[in-house]
Parts: sequence; structure tokens; C-alpha cells
Amino acid sequence: MRLFTIFAECNSSYVFSKFARCQCRESQLKLFKSAEDHFLVEIVKREMSQKSERRGIHVDQSELLCKKGCGYYGNAAWQGLCSKCWREEYQRARQKQIQEDWALAEKLQREEEAAYASIQGAQSHSQAQPSLAPFSKFEEKKTNEKTRKVTTVKKFFSPSSRTAPKKESHEGKTPSPSISRQSSIETDRVSRDFVDFLKNLQKPGREIHKQCRLFIEGMANKKDLGADELSECVQDFYQNMSDRLMTHFKGSTERVERVMDQVEKYIMTRLYKNVFCPETTDDEKKDLATQHRIRALHWVNIQMLCVPVDEEIPEVADNVVKAITDIIEMDSKRVPRDKLACITRCSKHIFNAIKITKNEPASADDFLPTLIYIVLKANPPRLQSNIQYITRFCNPSRLMTGEDGYYFTNLCCAVAFIEKLDAQSLNLSVEDFERYMSGQASPRRQEAEAPWPPAGPCGGGGTGTSPCLTQVYQNLDLLAGLGARQERVLEGARTLESDLINWQESVEREVQEILEKFPLEIRPPASASAIDSDNVENDRLPPPLQPQVFAG
Amino acid sequence: MSEVRVRGRAETGLKFHGETRALRVKMVLLGSSGVGKSSLALRFSKDEFKASAPTVGCAYLTQVVCLHDATLRFEIWDTAGQEKYHSVTPLYYRGAHAALVVYDITKRESFIRAQLWLKELEKQYIPGETEVVLVGNKMDLPDDREVSLQEGRSLAERGGLLFMETSAKSGEQMNELLLTIGSNPEHKIRIMQLLERNRV
Repeated sequence: MRLFTIFAECNSSYVFSKFARCQCRESQLKLFKSAEDHFLVEIVKREMSQKSERRGIHVDQSELLCKKGCGYYGNAAWQGLCSKCWREEYQRARQKQIQEDWALAEKLQREEEAAYASIQGAQSHSQAQPSLAPFSKFEEKKTNEKTRKVTTVKKFFSPSSRTAPKKESHEGKTPSPSISRQSSIETDRVSRDFVDFLKNLQKPGREIHKQCRLFIEGMANKKDLGADELSECVQDFYQNMSDRLMTHFKGSTERVERVMDQVEKYIMTRLYKNVFCPETTDDEKKDLATQHRIRALHWVNIQMLCVPVDEEIPEVADNVVKAITDIIEMDSKRVPRDKLACITRCSKHIFNAIKITKNEPASADDFLPTLIYIVLKANPPRLQSNIQYITRFCNPSRLMTGEDGYYFTNLCCAVAFIEKLDAQSLNLSVEDFERYMSGQASPRRQEAEAPWPPAGPCGGGGTGTSPCLTQVYQNLDLLAGLGARQERVLEGARTLESDLINWQESVEREVQEILEKFPLEIRPPASASAIDSDNVENDRLPPPLQPQVFAG
Repeated sequence: MSEVRVRGRAETGLKFHGETRALRVKMVLLGSSGVGKSSLALRFSKDEFKASAPTVGCAYLTQVVCLHDATLRFEIWDTAGQEKYHSVTPLYYRGAHAALVVYDITKRESFIRAQLWLKELEKQYIPGETEVVLVGNKMDLPDDREVSLQEGRSLAERGGLLFMETSAKSGEQMNELLLTIGSNPEHKIRIMQLLERNRV
């Protein structure tokens, strides 16, 4: 529109009239060029560039390109660099960060050593060393002992593309820098927290840090080991570490546990990529099997499992949704204990749901079926891998005892139950079970309680009773209701309209009738008569006054 | 809430090398549904913590028992009693220090199930690894009794188990049960040894 005002300013009425017919700006330019009206072309050009600056519609080619000038396009998310340059840049920054961390750690070590030496003297310092030595030796032995396993042929035929790059998992080589950045930011944060935590512990803290670093480096060489051996290494490390801490803290279990939690967090965050769902195991296959199994069991409902939860109560439904979210969230955590915390949170929500429904504290008799139901509804990603990972790399005392351990055991039971689940455990006849499993029939359709049966053949494969689908049905219901209401409104509007028309017509008719009945007669006005015409003594009156002109 | 209290109690308990520490005892409740496992579990913890916040669930509970020379922190793991979950239950009693096999004295069937549980436990574990206690619950209903005291006792004696009849409803014999597990000299030593061996 602004262009038009410019034209108005230019007062070039001839071009303007032609211009107004052109819609496209390019053709405008052509038109100008043909008219050789350079002045106007200049104005339009200036206008265009101003516009692009102001509104960012037309970005200059040079702004899109990688800032490094490599010729590829850049991305704002990568600070204007192309993917390749960004990766390089990022790697450099990361290396620097790591070096700084190391430098800091070493500096701390030196400072503390100096302080220690000045206070305790050389004698006690040398005493401290042997406590360190056996452990390192042990580690060495361990490394030598374990002959490197040749990677199985299976690996090469494995269809998995997800786990393939894991083998050479230097973070820079992963396909998406943004993903690796995210995870390494987390790693860095955890490392920083760990260093901060150990600072409070003074000298032992430094030693712990050193041991952990050595261990992680050692583990980097053991990538080809089987999952059980890896687990053994980590568990041995935990055991040694906690034994040594036990002597150091003189048997204070609580303090040892606190430190061990931090150690576990640090180590497992670092090792996660290599040891979660490793290729040497069939974890992935099991994951898929479980996932298919749960999907095939989509038709299982609350009644079949005898779950004491009433999802009609909004608060209960809310808790169920939260429980499902928590169990799904487990997969996103890296530290075994964080994963356990997700399971515990999920369990707490389940307890709440049962408590609200039954109005009494939930027992294990209620809890396990509900957990099974939640797992079936959630179908948590990589469930088996997660369970295996927790079993292998969590501090065993956490799994055997304690609240987290209890809920984890329940989850294992739930999964085991789902795997073995048969007609009997759902109180169904074998025929019904088979039919439901094969997708030939759905219990929902028979019960006719669902107003919207799963649509068509694809409905059989979906999640027939999932809350999402229920929501969809509810929404469809709502929409249908709304449609009906709109119909009614339209109907009403139509009647109103016809009523109005009728009314108008009737009024018109009435008016017409009245008009016909009482036709409007316009009588000529009676001849004007002076108000004093009846006056008898008119002629006796003096003549009217006449204006007179006074000369003067 | 109760967690905090447990810690608080533990501090006044046993001193080990100048440090406080409560020994953890993992105790699993086994038995068919309806025998009162949950009530037992609830009773264990309620008895001690009357003022504590109402429990949302009674599947996992803790209770601290102070003996004159030790503080035991019982972790009570309730299990689902329905028969269909029988096959997955071994996961629960892995690493348990004590297992309570509960039956209802007014239901013979539960007593038969209890024997199945005992067999299962024997099959899975070397004797002495886990302390097994046979518990006849609902002793407050003597009129409906179907399983005599003698039957229970002889079953326990045959397996060399501890035996006790309790009432979760009236709370009878409840503290005795925990104290028996914790203080029976012979068994306590075994538990202590177990705990030492499985020290965490």
C-alpha cells in the first residue's frame, strides 16, 4: 500500500494507472524498467529493502549462509552456523570446558595436598597413599583379566540403527549435535555438582573424584564386554568404594550412602550411553516383545484385572494420568536412582487413586493389579531395558530393601505378570481371550457401553480403552451434542425468520385493510375566512395604521 | 513423616563405633488374600506411630523396634495374595531377612495355601537364609476357628519355624511377634549374622 502513496507523491498518473493493474511486484519492476523510469525503480527498491529489514520477510541471501562462510546454510539455533561448523565450534568449546574442569580439579588437588602436607607432615602423607594403591592395582588387574570380547557377528546384521552409533560414542560423532549438546550439558552439570559436593569432603573427596575418573576411563576400554561383566565392574567399584568409605566414616551408614548416591549419579551419567541397552544383550528385542505384548493387550480393562480404581472420579483419573506420566518419564532419566524415583512417584499416585476410590489405605492386594493396569495403559518405552539397567547398575541395597526397592520389585512383578498373562488371570474363557488377542473381537463392542465403537479395521490395532481414545469419544459426543444444538438453533432461527416475515406481511395486510376500510380522503381546506368576518361593526373601526415617513 | 521419626529414634539406639545405626530387617508378608496381611502390616506401624500422618498405602511400611542392645528397623513388604500373582511372588522375598507366612485361623483353605508358601520358600532358599515365621491371624474370632492352635504349632515345628497366633484387629500378640523375631536369642543371633553378612 505504501507504494501507492509514493506514486501519489510522484504524481506520475500515467505509470500509476498502469501500475495499479499489476499485482506482482516483480512485474511492477519490469514495468518500470520498460518505462525506463529509473527514479521509480529506485524508490520501489528502497521500499523493498526497508520492508525486509523491518518485517523480515525477505532475508538477504548472505544472512542465511553460515557465518563461517563455508557456503552452506546456517541455522539460528546453531548461532548462525551450518551444522558442520557448529559441531566443530561446539566441540572446541566443550574441550575447553573439560580442560578447565580438569585444571580446576587438579588445582584443588594440589592445594589440598599442599595444605595436608604442611599440617600432617610427610609421614602421614605417605600413610595415606597405600590406602589408594590396592584399589588402583585391583582395577589394573581387572582390566588385564578381562580379555576383550570380540564383537559378535550379530552386531553387523543387527537392524538397529538406533544403537549402531553407540559403539563409537564420542559425543561429537553422534548425528545430531543438538541432542548431544543437551545430554552433554547434563553431563557437565552433573560433573560440576559432583565436584561441588566433593569439595565439602576435603581430602577424601579428592580421592573419590580421582577414583571415579580412573574408573570411567577404565570403563571406556571395556565397551566390548557383555552387560553382565559391565554390571560386575560397576558393582565391584561400588562395593570397594563403599567399603573404603565405611572405614573412612567409621561405619556411619548414612554418610556412606549419601556419598555413594553422588558417586552413582556421577558415574552412571557418564556411562549411560555405553551401558544402557548394550548391543551385546537382547534387551532391545525384549523391549520390542514387551511393547508388542502390551499393545496386543490393549483391550484389558479395569474390571478384568479387578483394579479397585474408579476413573469416573476426576481426582482419581488425575492420579492415574500422573502415574502414567511418571512411569513413562522413567525412560528419560539416566541415573538408576532417578529412574527408581520415577517408579516411586508413580506408585504414590496409584496409592492416592486407590485411597480416594476405596476410602481406605491401599494394600498390596490392590496395589499390584493397579500397577499392572497402569503399565498396560502407559506402555512405557524401553521397559525391559530400563529394568535391566536398574538391576545391573543400581546399588543393590537400594533394590533389595527400602521403599524404592519395594516399588521396583512390584514393577518387575507387574512386567513378569504381563508376560505370563493368560485367560485365567483375567477371569475370561480361553476362547474369548484368544479372540481378543487376535483382534477379532473387542470386549468394548460387545458390552455396548461404548457409544463409539473403535472405528473400522484399524480400530482393532489401536488402544481400545486408552484414556486418549475415551477422550476422543467424549469429544465426539460433545461435538455431536453441539451439532444437534446448532441444528436446533438454526431451526429456531428459520422459524423466527418466517415468523418475522409473516408478521410483517400480516401487519402490512392489516394496514392495507384499514387503509381500504378508511380511505384517506383529503378534503380541500375550508375557504380562508378572516377571524373578524363576523364582526358586524367592522366598518366602524378606524382604518388600519399606515406607516408614515417622518422627514427629519 | 514416619521416616523422620524412625531416624530420630534410631539416633537414641545402638551405638556402633561412636556412630548410630539401625539395622535394617526386610520382612515379607506372604499369604492368600483376606487373611489380614495388610492389617498386620498396618498394625505393626500404627502401634508405634499413632500420631503419624494417615498412611495412603499399607503395602510398604517401616517400624523401628528398640531392643535393649540393638535397634532394628523393620521394613515390611506386603505382597499381593491373589492366587494369580503367586508365580511372581518370589521376586519379593529375594534378600528378605524374615518372611511371615500368614493364614487365617477361621479359614482352612488359607492354611493349606500357607503350606504351599512354606514349600515354595524352602525350595527357593537354603534354610537359615531367611527367618520364616508362621502366623495364624484373627485369633480374636475363636468361635469360627477352623485351624487349631496345635495344627499350626506342629506345622511350624516340623519346619523348624517360629510360630505365633495374633490378632491384627485387637493388636494382641503383635508386639510380641516383632519382639520374637528380634529378640529370640537363637534367632536374633541368626538375624544379626544375616545382617552382618548382607550389611549395606
